[in-house]
Amino acid sequence: MTAFTLSPEEAQVQATARAFLRDFVDNSYLNEQEESATGFEPLRWVRMRDLGWSSVHLPDRVGGADGSLVDAALITRECGRAAYASPLLQTLRAATTMSALGADKTYDDVLSRIGDGEIATLVAPPDRAVVADVAAGGFVLSGRPVVVEWLAQADWVVLVLPTVGQDCIGAVVPADFLGDRAVEVPSIDNERIVRLDLDGLELPEDVVRSTNVSATEAAYALARADLLRASAMVGGAQDVVERTAKYALERHQFGQPLGRFQAVRHHLARMVIAADGAQLLCDDALDRAQPGADETAIAQAAVFAAGRAYVDVVLTAAQVHGGVGTTVEHILHHHFRRAKAMQLRSGQRSARLRELHHALVVRKEGVEGSLW
Amino acid sequence: MKTVIGPTQRQFLADLRSYLDGLDPELVAATRAENIEDPMQPRENGRRFLRRLAADGWLGVSWPTEYGGQGRTEIEHWLFAEELYSRRLPNGLLTLNVIGPTLMLMGSEAQKADYLPRIINGDQVFAIGYSEPDAGSDLASLRTRAVRDGDEYVVNGQKIWTTGGDVATHYWLAARTGRPEDKHRGVSLFIVPMDAPGISITPIITQGGERTTSVFLDDVRIPASQRIGEENEGWAAIVCALNFERMFFHNEPRWELEQLAGWADAQGLLEGETPQAYALQERMGEHAVDVEICRLFALRGAGMLAAGQVPRAEASANKIWWGELRQRICNTGLDLVGEDGTIATGSPYAPAGGHLEHGLQSSPVWRFGGGTNEIQLDIIANHGLGMPR
Ligand SMILES: Cc1cc2nc3c(=O)[nH]c(=O)nc-3n(C[C@H](O)[C@H](O)[C@H](O)COP(=O)(O)OP(=O)(O)OC[C@H]3O[C@@H](n4cnc5c(N)ncnc54)[C@H](O)[C@@H]3O)c2cc1C
Repeated sequence: MTAFTLSPEEAQVQATARAFLRDFVDNSYLNEQEESATGFEPLRWVRMRDLGWSSVHLPDRVGGADGSLVDAALITRECGRAAYASPLLQTLRAATTMSALGADKTYDDVLSRIGDGEIATLVAPPDRAVVADVAAGGFVLSGRPVVVEWLAQADWVVLVLPTVGQDCIGAVVPADFLGDRAVEVPSIDNERIVRLDLDGLELPEDVVRSTNVSATEAAYALARADLLRASAMVGGAQDVVERTAKYALERHQFGQPLGRFQAVRHHLARMVIAADGAQLLCDDALDRAQPGADETAIAQAAVFAAGRAYVDVVLTAAQVHGGVGTTVEHILHHHFRRAKAMQLRSGQRSARLRELHHALVVRKEGVEGSLW
Repeated sequence: MKTVIGPTQRQFLADLRSYLDGLDPELVAATRAENIEDPMQPRENGRRFLRRLAADGWLGVSWPTEYGGQGRTEIEHWLFAEELYSRRLPNGLLTLNVIGPTLMLMGSEAQKADYLPRIINGDQVFAIGYSEPDAGSDLASLRTRAVRDGDEYVVNGQKIWTTGGDVATHYWLAARTGRPEDKHRGVSLFIVPMDAPGISITPIITQGGERTTSVFLDDVRIPASQRIGEENEGWAAIVCALNFERMFFHNEPRWELEQLAGWADAQGLLEGETPQAYALQERMGEHAVDVEICRLFALRGAGMLAAGQVPRAEASANKIWWGELRQRICNTGLDLVGEDGTIATGSPYAPAGGHLEHGLQSSPVWRFGGGTNEIQLDIIANHGLGMPR
């Protein structure tokens, strides 16, 4: 329904991104890319880099466009709407995390390479699956294998991992540093993933660029990265709602459009409510994405709401579409698969909800910036 | 990207909070107790409280200064209403938040001059008379008749569910002036003093303890000057007022969640690494997200009003979210409590002060009051998505 308040510049970013993707993305294209060797078209990547997408929110000094997190989120939202898979979201997430952790320019060399069009990915397992421990000359990692998007296509891998104590470390390595620890595995959606086994890996001092990052700081950096995914999920949910409404007007049964049947109308209205709620929370979180635990909690709430809404709307959309809603001939199948996959990439629902409980319910009064 | 809360709004909220913190504690406590018992109508203490706010210039936050208001935007007005709700204090309810704004848009100059100053002084309280025994969701089929007789109308009929009928000074009354088959095109809207000859009022008590009333109208005479808008065109005023009403649901779910959290905390149920604590934290975490969304649905509407737009489907979404969430929190809250949850409000042993139990008993009203949620879903399908009727 009614759009949120974008500045004219932000509206421009959104319109440009939508027009660019509309130019070539449709279901056949998505199917074709999913079947392809690389999972995306490297030529399009170059085009996106030229448009400044992968560094839109990076500072000018590293070749970025000096934009805000909102600009980046608007671009991922459009990719989400189009169900378009590429290393862009991961590159933006990795870059966001590095800029948040490296206000002191610690990561500027790698950020410049991203500004030049190199690809990055982010390893930050949501459920403490991997832990770093101090060892001679650096850190040694332990834990179970984790799933990472687009690592096989990436130039750089950013790692944000908890230490055995309460702090976190930030590291960045060239992708080939991980050698054969990354095994490509099929994904339930059209993004590319690897299973990465970090157990026993030694990270030398020079790749660990941030040590003693407090849990709060790390959570803030990752919340910014996750908001980009939340925004992609919001875009996906919005597209599904709009498509389904259109279908309900076109498809006739019993001599009338589906949209005249109250059972269908109510399905559609519930989809609107779910998508709107997610969008409002995501936009609020983007607006409030400033350093501080309070905003981190809102961002995490937005990630949760976006995942829940995207999954809810695809389930109903498939129902309203009837048979055609489940075939690979229809773009809905990409949304359906992406919704669940993107939601799961935040880790375990129960763990996220417990964190939210601690952040939102247990939070005491008088927190800076809180309306509560 | 801008959300609607900026420095101006934060400052406003800070000022409001310090004003409310400084109010007479006896008045606040008495009002609060009354409000918790039955929030749908300000009674003795609530009226006292509202007059106090009026005297201090705090009623009518978004009302233009020419009508005695503060001349701020609907965003501050909404924040005001929500802050009072959070403290379980009345905020002017339907009279200030629904009737006043509707009169500003649809009333004649004489009506505005007559009513607005007395509403903002806290002197007048309106009750709303739409529903009838045979006209609920299908309001357009209402049968109470107003027949023109010279400069007056003569009204006969029966209304049901007139909340606050026994404490109100005025009635916001929908009556048929056209033919029944004209449905909503034959309805007019009137303002009637609640003590007009021919009006009799019978109380109805709900399971949740709220008071509402039946109103019988027997040859009640209303001057034609008290009709809002043209004859047979009262529907516009009803729709306008209902949209305001659906915007003025507040973050009461947050209050209920706090009751649940407070109870669980006191029981020590939220700590430890037990499966029960985990399950409870998950449930609370999801409710907390939904409470945040509740705030944003309402703020979106307030932002639209402030931008000169009319929330319609947006008001309906707000209303559905709010009502369902409250019901869900109270219901799942009692599930967590278990058999102690059967101890009713009034007993010192009632968990969470009995608020969850009381809330659940009141909760059906939240899903149909102000127009049932099924009707709201239809409004979203039509106005939000362009579905055919
Ligand atoms: C405590 C309380 C206070 C109230 N206060 C006021 C007040 O101050 N002023 C006032 O005027 N009214 C008031 N009401 C009335 C309230 O607004 C109505 O109860 C409400 O509009 C529903 O009408 P109904 O009870 O006749 O239910 P019905 O309209 O008979 O509906 C029953 C069920 O059928 C469903 N239904 C009906 N038609 C359709 C349809 N076309 N499509 C799908 N589903 C449908 C409804 O959604 C509902 O679930 C109050 C009610 C209560 C209980």
